[in-house]
Parts: sequence; structure tokens; C-alpha cells
Amino acid sequence: MITVSNLSVRLGGRQVIHGISLEAAPGALTAIVGPNGCGKTTTLKAISGELPPESGSVSINGRNLKGLKPWELALKRGVLPQSTVISFPFTVREVVRLGLTAGATADAKANDRIAADALEAVDLGGFAGRFYQELSGGEQQRVQLARVLCQISNPVADGEPRYLLLDEPVSSLDIRHQLTIMQLARRFCEQGGGVIAVMHDLNLTAMFADRMIMMKAGMIRASGAPSDVLTDETMEAVFGCRMQVSAMPAAGVPFVLPQTATL
Amino acid sequence: MPRSEALDRGMRLTALAADIRAEWQSGNRARLARVVIVLLVVFAAATFVSSIMTGAADASLSNVVRWLVGANDADQVLSVRDRIIILDIRLPRAVLGMLVGASLAVSGVVMQGLFRNPLADPGLVGVSSGASLGAVLLIVLGSAVFGPLFALFGFYALPIAAFVGGLVTTLLLYRIATRGGQTSVATLLLAGIALGALTGAFTGVLIFMADDKQLRDVTFWGLGSLAGANWTKIAAAAPIILLSLAVTPFLARGLNAITLGEAAAFHMGIPVQRMKNIAIVSVAAATGASVAVSGGIGFVGIVVPHLLRLVIGPDHRYLVPASALLGGTLLILADMIARTIASPAELPIGIVTAFIGAPFFLWILLRGRTTMGL
Repeated sequence: MITVSNLSVRLGGRQVIHGISLEAAPGALTAIVGPNGCGKTTTLKAISGELPPESGSVSINGRNLKGLKPWELALKRGVLPQSTVISFPFTVREVVRLGLTAGATADAKANDRIAADALEAVDLGGFAGRFYQELSGGEQQRVQLARVLCQISNPVADGEPRYLLLDEPVSSLDIRHQLTIMQLARRFCEQGGGVIAVMHDLNLTAMFADRMIMMKAGMIRASGAPSDVLTDETMEAVFGCRMQVSAMPAAGVPFVLPQTATL
Repeated sequence: MPRSEALDRGMRLTALAADIRAEWQSGNRARLARVVIVLLVVFAAATFVSSIMTGAADASLSNVVRWLVGANDADQVLSVRDRIIILDIRLPRAVLGMLVGASLAVSGVVMQGLFRNPLADPGLVGVSSGASLGAVLLIVLGSAVFGPLFALFGFYALPIAAFVGGLVTTLLLYRIATRGGQTSVATLLLAGIALGALTGAFTGVLIFMADDKQLRDVTFWGLGSLAGANWTKIAAAAPIILLSLAVTPFLARGLNAITLGEAAAFHMGIPVQRMKNIAIVSVAAATGASVAVSGGIGFVGIVVPHLLRLVIGPDHRYLVPASALLGGTLLILADMIARTIASPAELPIGIVTAFIGAPFFLWILLRGRTTMGL
């Protein structure tokens, strides 16, 4: 369980998170949504331990982040940032294996298999020998996810659930790979791990999230099952956008919903 | 060697080459890097020996070896003059070249890793100028102001002064160029130019104040040369250089992780702040000690790591030792060029490294404009 209680965060002199509390249980995919600049990424950064809270606390499996060393944290949760620029010519394999920094086993064969499996999981099986800098943005994002999966290869370790913190994991992916990655996150939850994902696509969120947290201006406006959170009222209150949930568009305008996909 | 054994060895080498090729294609350059490091050890040893044998005077190495092992005819094979040339001039020079070259190249690697940019180099971003200021400060204000320092540190005073100068510049640079874990390349390079100019101006004031003897000391020291190499200088610089080089292999994993950004390195379990502190102190110490004994020798720290990254990749576990070896070797080679090209006169080695390094640096810029965030 990841527990955030009364968390406030100050960034550059400005308070951006105002006393929020939330819980992310293992076995569940928790999605954080909200308009640009509402504090989704800041919340995720505080949960990852990257930003210190001004007040309040974050704990992971009952242990306050404050008391955990970086390598201890690295064995409990992996973090996927929004985008990662690398200015050195690493190959894809080398980047993915950086995920083993904290948790590498002494068994070289096992390490190789973990890295290969992670690349396979994000549908980049034949990419190990390519240079990271030469990949497209979407491919780079998937390499980074493979790196995180390399770090947290088992959803449960030593009887404790582990977590993936994903900041817009599908933002630069095509629709097919959006579904692949969301299914991967789902599977991670089904195997006993927990996932917190910052999301923009509300359809994908409705499809895959067990719990949805809607933020606005550094506070939580609604939380619960997607069917409870995604209502006409919350959409207007949070996004300032009058729209109807689950209504058909006017005839003649094509629309594509990920819900209809079969992979 | 029997024929079949030679054949066997040949086949094993071919198999190794095929393995390396296959691994390279799947993005794995670890074994290639290890083979390259072995080759660099051989290259370094060969260069070291040949630099002891080359020079204006003729002193044969085989005779030195015979004298060293105490052959029966020991006193006839080596004249006193040859002994001095080999043991007190060429040997310390080669040792100092190896130390300084290794230190410059590794400082380059660590700084580039820390700033996440292949263009960061202590010489380029003003750290060497800061170290120079420290050294000149000591030479000019010397006994008047720093008397107690001399008394306390003896001949370590000069490297320590250069180290403090380098450290202050590196810390300033880091403060200016890095915000919230992100380093701006443009700010880094421009701040480096400004800090270099500022420390240069202070150095200028000191030179202006200097008397004739101090002026001579400063000028000779600043030319960038291994010419004054002797065992005393080595005794002063070697402990500092070796200590800071000894730390760098332990930074390798952290430097690898930090190429993805400071936040990502923390996510992967690296104690980022502590690692950065150690890296900054070791770069400043290695640069300071090198500058103190050999003046400003440029471009080693940028050319060597870049060349090696092209071959073995940026993994610091291999890049650090490989850079140390290649940096030392290339500096000895440059020194051989410097002292033979206009023999019996000597060119300052800084000129040789600039002639080779500067065009190479321009080539890097042209080649990598897109990938370096410029």
C-alpha cells in the first residue's frame, strides 16, 4: 500500500499541492487525471521521494519515505518520467540494463534474461542493438519503460508488493502500443503489484483504471471507480469543459474508441 | 610454438572476434570494452618503454636493464651520464606523463558524466584556469602570505593551492549551470568562459605584481610542459592524482545512472548528492594536481573520452579505466613529439596537444551537433 496523508508540496516558493491524501493499493491500477498544471506530476514526484513534502507524509508498505535510503526505495518502486534525453551514445540494451543498478543479481544469465524479457514486454524485441538516440520519441518512451520493468521485474518480492509510478506512460505512443502498455500495467497489478499512473487519455483511463483520482489546482476533486468519477458534473467542474459522458457524437463524424480494440 | 598450437590459438582468436561481433550487434559491448582495455595496457607499456629510449641523447635501454639487474659488467655498460639521463630525466618524465594524462582524461570523463554532456572538460569550462589561479597565487604571494601553508604542507603546497582553486571554480560552475537537477549546456559553456576570463584576470593582476624571479617561475610553469619532470614533482602530485583516480571506479555506476538525469538516477537507487560531491572533489583534486605540476595541457580530457565512447560506448565502468590508459599513453606520445620534432630544442607539450586536439574538437562539434543538445 502506498499511503499519502495530508501532503503539501512547495515548488519554487509557490505551494502547488494543498494537503492531499490518497491510497494506492497493491493489485489496483490507480490513475491520476486532471488539467495541465494541476499538480499530477508533482504528486507523483513526491510519492517517488524525488520532492520532499512541505508537510504531511508518504509511506510505502507502511514505511515512511523519509527513513528509506535511495537503494531501498529503488527495490520497492520504479519510476517512469515523462521523457528522458540522453546525450551519450548508449545502445537500447545498455539503457535497459541501467535498471539493474540497484537490484542486479550475481547471475549474469538471469540479468540478461530480465533485460530481454523487459524489452519483449514493451514490444521492442529486436531493438537491443539499436542506439537510443536514433529511436523515435515513442520508442524511447518504451525503452524507458523496459528499463523500469528491469528494475522492478517482479510485482511481488520478499512477500511485499512493489509499485510502478508512471508519468504519462502512453503520451507519445500510437494507439496499438497504448493498449499494449496499459495491458502490461494491468497484468502487473493482477500479479500483486501496484501501479500509479498520471494519465491524459480519459477513455484509456476508464478502460484500465481500478481507481481514478481527479485533481484540480493542487487538490483532489473526486476519487473512486471511473464510473463514479467520470460524470458530466466533474468534467465541467475540473476541466471547465461542458461535455457529456458516454454520449454518441452526431452522426457522420467518425470516432474511434480504444474500448473496441482487439489485440 | 608447435604448428597445431598456433592454429588452435588463431582459431580461438577468430571465435572471440565473432563472439564480440555478435554481441555488438545485440547492443552488448562489455566484452569488446574488456578486450580494448587489455590492448590499451599493452599500448601503454610499449609507449612508456619507447619514450624512455627516445631522446636527444643516446642511452640504450638494454644497458639500463643490465645495470639494474646488476650484471657482472654493470659499471662498464652504463656511464654515469646515461644513468642520469634515463633514471632522473626520462623515467620521471614518462611517469609524470602517464599520471597527468590519466588524470586529465579521467577528469574529463567524470565531469562529462556529471554534467551529462560530452563537451564538459575541466580545461574548457574554466576549472583549469581556477586551478592555475590557485597555483599562481601561491607562487606570487608565496612566503609572505602563505608561509604557514608552506611550513605545513611542504612541496604539497602548490598542488593543494591548485586543488582549492579548481574546487572553488567547479562548485561555482555547478551552482550556476545546474537548476533542479537539470544542467543547461549553454549556461555551462558560457559560465565556463566567464569564470575562465575572471580567474585569468586575477592571474593577470598577480603576474603584474610579481617580481622578476616569480615571473620566471610563473611563466615556465604556465607553458604547459612535462619538461621539468623530476621525482620531487612526482612525489608531490602522485598521491593526490592516484587517490582521486582510485575513487572514480566507484563512481562508475552512479555516472551511468546520472546520464538519464539526476531524478532518474535517484529513482534507480543512487545517492545522487553524495555521488556528485565525491565526483566534484575528485575532478578538482586531479585537475589541480595536474595543473600544479604541468601547467595547462588542453584537450586530453575531451578527445580521449570521446574517441573511446565511439569504440566501447559510454559505460563508465569501462570508460574510466580505458580513458586513464589512453590519456596517459597519448600524453607520453605527445611529449615524445614535443621533444623530438625540433630536437634538440623542445616544444611545450600544450602546443602539441592543442594542434591535435583543437581540430578534433571541431570535428566532434560538426559531427554531433544534433545529439549534444546544442
